[in-house]
Amino acid sequence: MLEWLAENWGNILVIAVLLLAVGAVVYFRVRARRAGRGGCGGCAGCAMKDICHEKYKKNL
Amino acid sequence: MELRIALAGNPNSGKTTLFNALTGSNQFVGNWPGVTVEKKEGRLKGQEGVIVTDLPGIYSLSPYTPEEIVARKYLIEERPDVILNIVDGTNLERNLYLTTQLTEIGIPVVVAINMMDIVRKNGDSIDIEGLSRVVDSPVVEISALRGDGVEKAAAIAIEMAKKKAKPRRRYFSGIVEHALAHIEEAVVHHLPEQQQRWYAIKIFERDVRVIEKLDVSADLLTHIEKDIKTVEHEFDDDAESIIINERYNYITEALKGCYKRRRVGISTTEKIDRVVTNRFAALPIFALIMFLVYFISVSTVGTWMTDYTNDGLFGDGWYLFGIGRSAYEEALEEYVDEHLIIERAAGFVQAAEATGSDIRGLDDLKEALSAREWGAIEEAIGSYGSQIVTGIDAEGNTVTLDTWLEAELENAPVSEDFGVWVPGIPVLLGALLEKMNVSPWLYSLVIDGMVGGVGAVLGFVPQILVLFLFLAFLEACGYMSRIAFVLDRIFCKFGLSGKSFIPLLIGTGCSVPGIMASRTIENEADRRMTVITTSFVPCGAKLPVIALIAGALFGGAWWVAPVAYFVGITAVICSGLILKKTKLFAGDPAPFVMELPAYHMPTASSILRSMWDRGWAFIKKAGTIILVSTIVIWVLSHLGVVDGGFGFLLEMELEDSLLGYFGKGVKWIFAPLGFASIETAVATFMGLVAKEEIVAVLGVLDFLDMTRLAGFSFLVFNLLCAPCFAAMGAIKREMNSAKWTAFAIGYQCLFAYLVSLVIYQVGALFAADVTANAVGVAVSVLVVLLFLYLLLRPNRAARAGKGALQQ
Repeated sequence: MLEWLAENWGNILVIAVLLLAVGAVVYFRVRARRAGRGGCGGCAGCAMKDICHEKYKKNL
Repeated sequence: MELRIALAGNPNSGKTTLFNALTGSNQFVGNWPGVTVEKKEGRLKGQEGVIVTDLPGIYSLSPYTPEEIVARKYLIEERPDVILNIVDGTNLERNLYLTTQLTEIGIPVVVAINMMDIVRKNGDSIDIEGLSRVVDSPVVEISALRGDGVEKAAAIAIEMAKKKAKPRRRYFSGIVEHALAHIEEAVVHHLPEQQQRWYAIKIFERDVRVIEKLDVSADLLTHIEKDIKTVEHEFDDDAESIIINERYNYITEALKGCYKRRRVGISTTEKIDRVVTNRFAALPIFALIMFLVYFISVSTVGTWMTDYTNDGLFGDGWYLFGIGRSAYEEALEEYVDEHLIIERAAGFVQAAEATGSDIRGLDDLKEALSAREWGAIEEAIGSYGSQIVTGIDAEGNTVTLDTWLEAELENAPVSEDFGVWVPGIPVLLGALLEKMNVSPWLYSLVIDGMVGGVGAVLGFVPQILVLFLFLAFLEACGYMSRIAFVLDRIFCKFGLSGKSFIPLLIGTGCSVPGIMASRTIENEADRRMTVITTSFVPCGAKLPVIALIAGALFGGAWWVAPVAYFVGITAVICSGLILKKTKLFAGDPAPFVMELPAYHMPTASSILRSMWDRGWAFIKKAGTIILVSTIVIWVLSHLGVVDGGFGFLLEMELEDSLLGYFGKGVKWIFAPLGFASIETAVATFMGLVAKEEIVAVLGVLDFLDMTRLAGFSFLVFNLLCAPCFAAMGAIKREMNSAKWTAFAIGYQCLFAYLVSLVIYQVGALFAADVTANAVGVAVSVLVVLLFLYLLLRPNRAARAGKGALQQ
């Protein structure tokens, strides 16, 4: 087992970093989308700020 | 207890700029009306418990537009503690019209005269104290853009809110006051005292919404109607016009003593406008400006920076401050000359040409070799060299021109040996992964998949930033407002409203806010049409696609990017004309009232901030959505059929992969458009996730197997077809109907398909490297004839509407 770990630590580390990165991206994108920051520039770039996603804001 | 300050004022008077200055927030500021459609809230900077609300720009408290309804509802029903009324000092009379109404609703008002710097520059003067007496409210000079007087205005507003100091009543003519007194007594006596006056005036004006809200009985209405009619008879005018005239008469009289306008000739703004809004010169000037914007962004400054980023940061590396570059180039040239590499390569190309076989990119290869430009030679051989066989190696394998060159350069001088060489990200990351002894598949995933895909997108950041810098300047200085005005004049001739152009201007950054800004258009048919056409204008995310095609297939030709922009604008105008003649979108264009702001030099910070906000959104998208997508693309292009079964293979041919099977399944759709490869089919579909994805997919899969004509057709299709999912979501929200959303997306795809079809099939008649197809040409001719018919046919729908009105 230790031998296998020693041989594959590089793979394990890179895969762990990738999984974390992808997980973080998916989590933050879903959160941002629910909060109305789905488009480019998010709410700050939107003429309709504060009108969309009212339900989500109330739940915050 | 929180204190609420409402920012109210005319459109484009600087409310959002003041809101940003007061709250430290970063709301989108546009130099045209309608940027703020809904109210926005923020907390006053450096002051606990004070909420600032930015209301949409309004000209009056009459409910004529969605903005006026939103603003009036907030002011009347939610009743903030104080109103900070932003008044454009360069347009005092018209702005004070709203002030006269705001002072009637029983809420303390502070008047902030904005753009005082321009007032002074024009040589005009405003007696602040005198004006304060006229409106019976404190008046403060501010420059929201520079932040001058902003804190003072907020401090006075807070003081007024705490004092609850309301402006005193301003009187109309005796006979109007008599009617108002009757209304107050008969209808609104049960309301709080401070609100009675405003409601009475609105009832006098026969404001339907107010009458409905107060549930005034028919008897009572008949009773007060007698008083209103008496006044109307006396003035020989309708009630609403009487009130409007009374207000303007009051303002004109009041300003005589406190506003001095120095009229010496025409102002600078007027001088500029005489040229840029000139009936004949306006459009050519607009075309020239937009041409320059796209040309500079994509073909000059932007390209130099992007090449540096692509070849350096996301390539092999770069020489720090260029130290060592010339020495390396000299050594390489010497090596190439010594080994007669160019001459031998030219010989192979010549021999291949002599066999009469069809070689893609032959002209590029020959051109690069005859010009002896090493960079172009390497690029051309890398792209097209695999088609030219140079011999057989010791193991009996066929050697092609690209692998031959690779072998020839094995002992050539290397960049690292000269000057100060900084390796690029793929080199550094590759070295790190090799040190970590990661598996080849993981190495390929990170370097070829993620770095290749994300790097391909991020490489275009400099071009994006340059484009956004120009657009931010044009918006902020006031030129873009003129474009809406100029195009309104032209749009109106075709039954379209200039109001439709504002979402298109916003859509140049991103289609999502552009589509949402269409909410300001009251006419439903016009609004729907604007929603459908907004994404035709190339958004920031489409710029990398334009730049990629321009660079890879057209050698960075100067005309590709400007043409792509004008294809979008033409698509908007043609679609408008075609749709307007159908029953679904028939009707007169909505009136477009717009005030042109004075030209001014925007501050560097505001332009840079606007550029960075949009650019940062692009970078974030590349680091998130694009990153995950490139992983998915890489995985799907390495999973597939291996030795008759399903499995993973690092060296898998694209055709055998899952992605390849998907591509093969859909590529026939694009065959008539000239781009029927798996790569371009997958890229087009992935473009629905985000348009930058097209570049990322091609960065991972590579795509140089394309003619220029097919490349242009591919570009046009991707510019005009359905936008990304985020924009489709915005379309769905704005349409509020599944049927209309499907119509919008279906129309965009069909329009894009037909335009690309005509470009490719008709273009094939003139292109040397594409064989024309008789059926394709015939279909294209039919499409063009149908298009011309739809475009030029008489507008029966509008005529029917007019006829009905006349009857």
